[in-house]
Amino acid sequence: MACRTVCQLLQRRMASSATSVRLSAAEVRGQRSAVFSREQARQRSLYPRTEKIEVTLQIPGLQGTLLVMNKGVSTPHSCARHLTEWYVTSSALALVDGKPWSLHQPLTQSCSLSLLTFKDTDPLLVNQAYWRSCAALLGQVLQDAFKEDFSVELLRVPEVQVTSGAFCCDVVLDPQLDAWIPSEESLRSLTRGAQQLIHRDLPWEPLEVAPPVALEVFSHSRCKQEEVEEKSAQSPKGTVMLYRCGDHVLLSGGPLAARTGLCSQYEVTAIHPLGEGKWGLHRRAQGLSLPLLQQAHHTVWRKLRSRAEKLVEVPTASANEAISDTLTPPSAPEQTPPHTAQQ
Amino acid sequence: MRLNIQMLISHGRVARKMGLGPKSQINMLRNILTGLVRHERIETTRGRADEVRFYAEKEKDLIPKLFKVLAPRFETQPKAYTRMARIPNRENLDKAAMAVLEYKGNPFPPLQTAKRDNELTLINQLLKGYREQRAQQAAAKVEA
Repeated sequence: MACRTVCQLLQRRMASSATSVRLSAAEVRGQRSAVFSREQARQRSLYPRTEKIEVTLQIPGLQGTLLVMNKGVSTPHSCARHLTEWYVTSSALALVDGKPWSLHQPLTQSCSLSLLTFKDTDPLLVNQAYWRSCAALLGQVLQDAFKEDFSVELLRVPEVQVTSGAFCCDVVLDPQLDAWIPSEESLRSLTRGAQQLIHRDLPWEPLEVAPPVALEVFSHSRCKQEEVEEKSAQSPKGTVMLYRCGDHVLLSGGPLAARTGLCSQYEVTAIHPLGEGKWGLHRRAQGLSLPLLQQAHHTVWRKLRSRAEKLVEVPTASANEAISDTLTPPSAPEQTPPHTAQQ
Repeated sequence: MRLNIQMLISHGRVARKMGLGPKSQINMLRNILTGLVRHERIETTRGRADEVRFYAEKEKDLIPKLFKVLAPRFETQPKAYTRMARIPNRENLDKAAMAVLEYKGNPFPPLQTAKRDNELTLINQLLKGYREQRAQQAAAKVEA
C-alpha cells in the first residue's frame, strides 16, 4: 500500500515490471468515468435557467420545420425524437450549420440541423464517423479483454479510409505478452466481447473539455497525455473532445456515431505486430464491421473479411491530413485501371 | 383417367397450362408474339408474358420484314432480348396479375428499372476497395 503511493507519486510508466503497484484497470476506468461525470455535471450547471433556442431542420421532406429546444440540454438526438422513431434509429451523425456534430452533444445556439444516415446521396462523413466508432469500440474491447495482471495501453487510433478494408486500433500490450500470437479462439472471444457491447446499445457521449481536465482524466497514462497535448494544439479553440461509452473514456480524432447499437456485423479479424516503438511492442488490431441498415450477405462478408485480415498500411502523411479533412479521396493509389466487377 | 385428388395437386410440375388446351396455348402464344413484334411493347398477364419471353428469343423467322430491324439490333447483345416488368393487377373482375413485355432497344421511354444503392455507401466503398485490390493482384500476377 505504501509502496503503491510512492510509485504513484513518482508516476512510473505502464511498461514497468512491477505489476502489483499500479492501480487495477477497473479502478482506472472508474476514476476516469468519475472525472468525466463531474465535468459533464459542471457543464450542465452552466445553464441554470431553461433558455430556448430555435432549430431549423434541413431534412428532405421536412425542410424548414422549426423546433424550439432547450439551450445546452437538447441534443440532435432529442430533436430526432420529436420526429419519428425512424429518424432516431437511422441517424448516425448530425450536421449543425454545416459542421459535423455528434448526435448526443448539446446544442448551444439557434442553428440549422440535418440528420445524416448511411443511405444518403453523400454518406462520406457518416462512413468515416462509423469507421472511427468501430475502432474506438475495438479499443474498448481490448482494454477489457485481458486479465488484471497484464497492462494494455491504447495508442492513437489511426485515421484509415473506408476503402482500405478494415479499421485499426494501435495498442501496446504488457511486456510479458510480447511473445503472444493471437489465435483464432482469442480473436473470436474478442469478437464476442464486442458483440456484447453492441447488444447493450450504449451511446457515445461527447464532451468538450479544456486540456487540464483531459490531462487529469488520463493521469495514469503518459501516451494519452501526449495525445491530449497534440490534439489541443491542433484544434482551433484549444479544447479536446472526450467520448464516454459505458464507463470507458476515450479520445477521438473526429465525431463518433450515435450508439453502439448501430453496428450489426462486427468481427475482430487480426492483430499484427508492428515492431518495437516508443512505448514497447506496437500491435495493430484490425476489424471489420457493417451497420444495421447495410448488412451483407454471408458470401460477400466472407470475402471482405479475408481482405480485412491483411495488414492495413497507414501512411503517416495522410494520417495528419485526414484528421482535419474527412472528404479526401481514398489514399490507395490506383496503379492499374479498375477492371469490371469480378465477383 | 380416374378423377382423383392427385389431379388437383401439382407438386413439382413446372409446365404452365394456358387457354383451352395445348393447341389453344400455342395459338395464343403465337398471337401474343405477333403483337410483340409489331408493337415492341405489350401488356398481358404475367404467366403469358413469361412464356412468350422464351419464344420471342428463339422464333426469329416469324415476320422477315420486321426482322431486318430487330436482328441487326440484337446481333451484338449476348443474352436476353426482352424485358419484363410487373404492373398493378388488372382492373377487371378477375384482378389478373399483369406484366409488360418489351424488346430491348425499343423507341419508347424507358420503364422503371431497379434502384441500385448509391456508390458511396459503406458497403459499396468496401467492395470497391476489394475490387481494386483484386485488380492490382491480378495485374501483379500477369507481370510476374
